[in-house]
Amino acid sequence: MRSFGILLKNEWKLSVRNMNMVIFAVLLPLVVLIILGMIYGAEPAFSGAAYMFMEQSFGALCTISICAGGLMGLPLVVAEYREQKILKRFQATPVSPARLLAVELAIYVIYCCVSLLTLILASWIFFKVSIRGSWPGFLGSWLLTMISTLSIGMMVGGIARNSKSAGVIASLLYFPMLVFSGATLPLEVMPEIMRKIVNVFPLTQGIQLMKAAFLGLPAENAGWSAAVMVVVTIVCTGISVRFFRWE
Amino acid sequence: MEDVIKVTQLSKSYGSQKAVSELELSVKKGTVFGLLGANGAGKSTAIECILGTKKADQGQVLILGLNPVRDRKSLFQKIGVQFQENCYQTEILVSELCEETACLYQSPADWKSLCSEFGLSGKYKSPVKNLSGGERQKLFIVMALIPNPQVVFLDELTTGLDAKARRDVWKILSELKRRGLTIFLTSHFMDEVEALCDQICILKEGRAVFYGTVGQAKQFSGCEDFEEAYLALSGEEDEIG
Repeated sequence: MRSFGILLKNEWKLSVRNMNMVIFAVLLPLVVLIILGMIYGAEPAFSGAAYMFMEQSFGALCTISICAGGLMGLPLVVAEYREQKILKRFQATPVSPARLLAVELAIYVIYCCVSLLTLILASWIFFKVSIRGSWPGFLGSWLLTMISTLSIGMMVGGIARNSKSAGVIASLLYFPMLVFSGATLPLEVMPEIMRKIVNVFPLTQGIQLMKAAFLGLPAENAGWSAAVMVVVTIVCTGISVRFFRWE
Repeated sequence: MEDVIKVTQLSKSYGSQKAVSELELSVKKGTVFGLLGANGAGKSTAIECILGTKKADQGQVLILGLNPVRDRKSLFQKIGVQFQENCYQTEILVSELCEETACLYQSPADWKSLCSEFGLSGKYKSPVKNLSGGERQKLFIVMALIPNPQVVFLDELTTGLDAKARRDVWKILSELKRRGLTIFLTSHFMDEVEALCDQICILKEGRAVFYGTVGQAKQFSGCEDFEEAYLALSGEEDEIG
């Protein structure tokens, strides 16, 4: 555990020094929150809705940092370490692939936590957004969404040949998920067949769950949503450790 | 004396290109072994196959009685490695790189005293990328010694060092050898090999063309000077002359 702590401390410092994730996972969600807040203020989500537009969007806002970390930051940093032969240096030490991946995972968990906290505080202070459902339900679905999305990133980073192919795979996952998971385009406007396809994205499930929990609405198929995310997490984590490439 | 490194029938090809061919060698405890050869002769591939960071096509390797692939975690507690391409995170500081390396071992050496032995104290807060070539090379030797190893592998250990720094490194390595450290190195400097190595192996196109001591190499080739002997044995001699 001592080595985990020291690796985490140093890798965290390197990540912050690099600034990319500070901007995309922490500042960007705040900027989007402020812009949405300035446009919609305290308007209801639709005429006659019992909750504000801002409250309806809160769950989706929380996934910006999760996507930035899990589908961009994490796979790219691991693939870059492989390409720069930093992993090869680690290969000639006693450290295990699982420990290295866990350290990188922990870094993006920290970013997601920081982003969640700042979003909760800023939306409450500036726009009076507050939860109507249950905190445990919301945090539980947030946690599942985060871990399942980060595990996808870990898998891509663990097995991609170099940072170029990791970048391509990351984009192939990132943009469809961002557009079709309900983060930007509402699920309700999609044709039935498409909704079935995007239903296997953990992000789609996560956003639905988080939205329901935040607004205090009954969650449809909560069990199915949780199951999708748990299965994705187990499969991706397993693949990333089993098929890890040092070089 | 026991064999610390034992390699039998090691071969590795890249496609149809034979990089290492039926390499056999053994290194005794507390000795310095030099693997020599021109660029592209297969030295780095041989080291990587011995360490298990590249998969050999055939052959056996035992280091301290352990299989480097199967027993990776326990073996690498006891050996230090400096690769030819030294790779580090772009923005990392000297202190961070040392700390991050030391934390992986059960009983690491004190990296601060190693750094000062190699004249790197006062550089802790410098980014590794801002060090001079010589300082960086020394830092990577320090990193190979951080595990408190029983064996070190140094691939082109003094490339990029000036004459004074090379002598300093020799002195430190001789002292470590006196204390029982086994050293496996590759080098392009024959004065260095002559000063340090107990046994050498010269590779040519992946094959061992000479195996023995520096004295035997001179005798065998009929050359007074070891560099001449090396050139004759490795077939690098100017054939026109």
